[in-house]
Amino acid sequence: MTATESVGERVRVTLTRPTFWVEWASVVGLVLLVVLFTALDSTFLSAGNIRGMLLASAILTILVVGQAFVILTAGIDLSVASVMTFAAVMFGLAMTHGYGILLSCLVAFCAGAAVGLLNGVLVAKGRITDFIVTLGALSAASGTALILSDGKPITVISAPLFELSAGSVGVVPYTFMIALLIAVLAHVVLFKTKFGTHVLATGGSVEAAQATGIRTTRIKIAVYAISGSLAGIAAILLVARVGSAEPAANMTFLLNSVAAVVLGGVSLFGGKGSIKGPIFGALLLTALSNGLTLLGVSQFYQPLAVGVVVVGAAFLTRFDK
Amino acid sequence: MTGAERRRSRWVGGMALACGLSLMLSACGGDSAAPSAGDGEAGGDAKIGVVIKGLDNPFFQHMEDGIEAAAEDSGVEYTIQAAASITDTSGQADKLSNLANQDYDCYVVNPISGTNLVQGIAQIAAKDKTIVNIDNPVEAEAAKAADATIATYIGTDNLAAGKMVADQLATLAPEGGDVATVGGVAGDVTSAQRIDGFKEGLSQDFTVVQEVAADWNRQEAQTQAETILRANPELAAFFVANDDMAMGVARAVAAADRKGETLVVSVDGIDGVASGDIDAAVAQYPFVVGKMGMQACEAAAAGHELPAKVDTPIELITPENAKEAQEAFPEPPSDYENPFADLLEG
Amino acid sequence: MSESMDLLEIRNLSLSFGSVRALSDVSLHVKAGEITAIVGDNGAGKSTIVRCVAGVHRPDEGDIVFDGQVVNFVRPDQARVAGIETVHQNLALVEDLTVWQNLFLNREISHGVGPVRFLQKKEMRKRARDMVAKLAVNVPSVTSTVRRLSGGQRQAVAICRAAGFSSKLVIMDEPTAALGVQETRRVEELIERLRSEGHAVLLISHNFDQVMRLSDQVWVMRAGKCVAGRRARDTTAQEIVGLITGAIAA
Repeated sequence: MTATESVGERVRVTLTRPTFWVEWASVVGLVLLVVLFTALDSTFLSAGNIRGMLLASAILTILVVGQAFVILTAGIDLSVASVMTFAAVMFGLAMTHGYGILLSCLVAFCAGAAVGLLNGVLVAKGRITDFIVTLGALSAASGTALILSDGKPITVISAPLFELSAGSVGVVPYTFMIALLIAVLAHVVLFKTKFGTHVLATGGSVEAAQATGIRTTRIKIAVYAISGSLAGIAAILLVARVGSAEPAANMTFLLNSVAAVVLGGVSLFGGKGSIKGPIFGALLLTALSNGLTLLGVSQFYQPLAVGVVVVGAAFLTRFDK
Repeated sequence: MTGAERRRSRWVGGMALACGLSLMLSACGGDSAAPSAGDGEAGGDAKIGVVIKGLDNPFFQHMEDGIEAAAEDSGVEYTIQAAASITDTSGQADKLSNLANQDYDCYVVNPISGTNLVQGIAQIAAKDKTIVNIDNPVEAEAAKAADATIATYIGTDNLAAGKMVADQLATLAPEGGDVATVGGVAGDVTSAQRIDGFKEGLSQDFTVVQEVAADWNRQEAQTQAETILRANPELAAFFVANDDMAMGVARAVAAADRKGETLVVSVDGIDGVASGDIDAAVAQYPFVVGKMGMQACEAAAAGHELPAKVDTPIELITPENAKEAQEAFPEPPSDYENPFADLLEG
Repeated sequence: MSESMDLLEIRNLSLSFGSVRALSDVSLHVKAGEITAIVGDNGAGKSTIVRCVAGVHRPDEGDIVFDGQVVNFVRPDQARVAGIETVHQNLALVEDLTVWQNLFLNREISHGVGPVRFLQKKEMRKRARDMVAKLAVNVPSVTSTVRRLSGGQRQAVAICRAAGFSSKLVIMDEPTAALGVQETRRVEELIERLRSEGHAVLLISHNFDQVMRLSDQVWVMRAGKCVAGRRARDTTAQEIVGLITGAIAA
């Protein structure tokens, strides 16, 4: 009896602890949405639709991991989506110039990493506010993408890329596997390595981190570089998905990347959060959009729904103070 | 690539957001669009001032090409100024006011909104110069308030384009069925007009089961179309508001193994029809809009009476004429009525 | 006898921030195994001098001799490596990390290749428990986050971190300024325990009672200068106050 009581007690304590709801808001939200949409439309949980949702969330998931690293250091990267656009155009140009798929992927990755590194150096060494630096990078990266592409989509035809975007094992698409692999790696880096602890410490208190000799400048540069590199990888998946490299602004990706991180319980003040939370946040946003479309809800209600969900999640984090 | 409005409206959304973010920094964009004075030869007898929207997308680039081509033909003297971006309403107004203070005989204006250029238009009207309105109409109320008479309006009719797509769909799928529409940014006027025209023209055999907004973004359109196809596996057709999104929808249809069964029809998309991805499209011609605007000024200068409203051609693009349309671009493949050219010749 | 050896010797240290002369020609020394206090008014240069020793600031002139060697720290971690630990006024704890993570911050026990360092969490938790137990610090659990600790417990964690890792000198900047009576007493006990463990302690404090009670040596600073040094047993609180205000000439 005492054992069960203590289990019950522990569950009660856990459920009444506000931090529990902050950490698990995105998961709870996702479960609620799944239940709701499944009740309203049985096709929601069909294998085809699950596969579709995972496919649609892969790119966002990768961007969200990068954004999470930056926000964990109390920064923000407003340029993720534009850097992805820029990297996509670089990828498209490399492909059309006959660089071959592997080299082109490397070009995309390096393009993203380079912009990220520049962001990091400007934020950490230049001591310019992250908001301003990445806002500038947002504009500069989209502008460069427009210039390089002359404002036109670059059609990329490649059998392996098509296979990458279309193939799956069961209901799990290859692209989502890549996203998941990145997420797992990110989790390990954040919680199992020295670097990860230093990221959390830098975000939690720059003064404390510096007092113990952590090179916070390097940590900051590193997280922006990570964010940029992941945007480069996302760019490859984006091109694979639509079959062309588009100089489009992709603003929805930017907003959703920040929203997913907040949904996932990462503090915008840095130092606290996880990788799994934001990933579930990304899945939640994808499921929300998918479910509303599936139910035939008018286009005008979708942004409203996203807004309500994001602010609702932010409200939960209020209790965490 | 057809002279799509693709990026025009996509940038409405994108830039509006970027502007929102950067408001605290500075006004969106800079005054980067420098005036390019065409030093015309003695051929033309009118001096023309032109103010158009931002050159940050192909639609207006084609329009500018048309303006330059017309000026080159006649040797008319002109100055062209473009807004810094698609949201630069006040900057555009300043540019027109500047030009209005100078000595031009005729002004060609393409306002960003129905009212943002009204001050400059009032200045011009006070000097009794000719005003030619292209593409986006100046609101009648605003023109009245400025005590101005718009000599002529030249534009492309989005409603008619949507309607024409609906007619063609009836021909391609006489048995009717369910259709879904994929628009640009939710609330965008151009997108709404095209979709409204399409729905108006749709025969009773069709039912619109779903309307989504895909932000003029190919990836977004593809994702939305995939979801719609899962909810409505027997969908007869997608109507897509521009060519770029139509390419994304076409990919979704192919991925769902519905090619040929679920049709993809769109406004713009000559290349997509040529490549077989889009089943039918209606193309618009901003190049012609720009050209006719210049010719209207020249005709007015020559003392001709201008028609109040001229619709520039729209062209149905089918697999049969897609190649031809590609070659003729930026002009339409077939002859079209140009009342201003007639006036100038006659 | 090691008791009488100078562990730290500061020779003619000067430092200016722009036109403000924060330290001018300061000389003092800290003996091994003793509690040495620096007292003075606000802005007298107490914190500045310890920041020079801790590697936060670099002096313009003068030498710092630590453990028989002239040292020239550029970054705080170099001072740490040399055996100088600092308990900052703000404690320098990361609130959202656990006690053990804070104890091992930037000296994590890890294994791996090159820059890839995997944490050995189990080992660190175990050693953290030992560190806490050794100083009999009242901390609920090394796995709880610092956010959930009281002011005194946080102070104890910060001191514990400074005392660990075989540090020779522990610098404490106003360790009890923000604490209640009970907690102050606990921290004072902790400081005395550090001395009995063999650490030298350099203490900055406003509390003369505390200084007189705890320390073996007192240095008085006034307007960026070190004006006097007294053995605690040879002086009184009144004399110290007089030296601080300048009422008594050094």
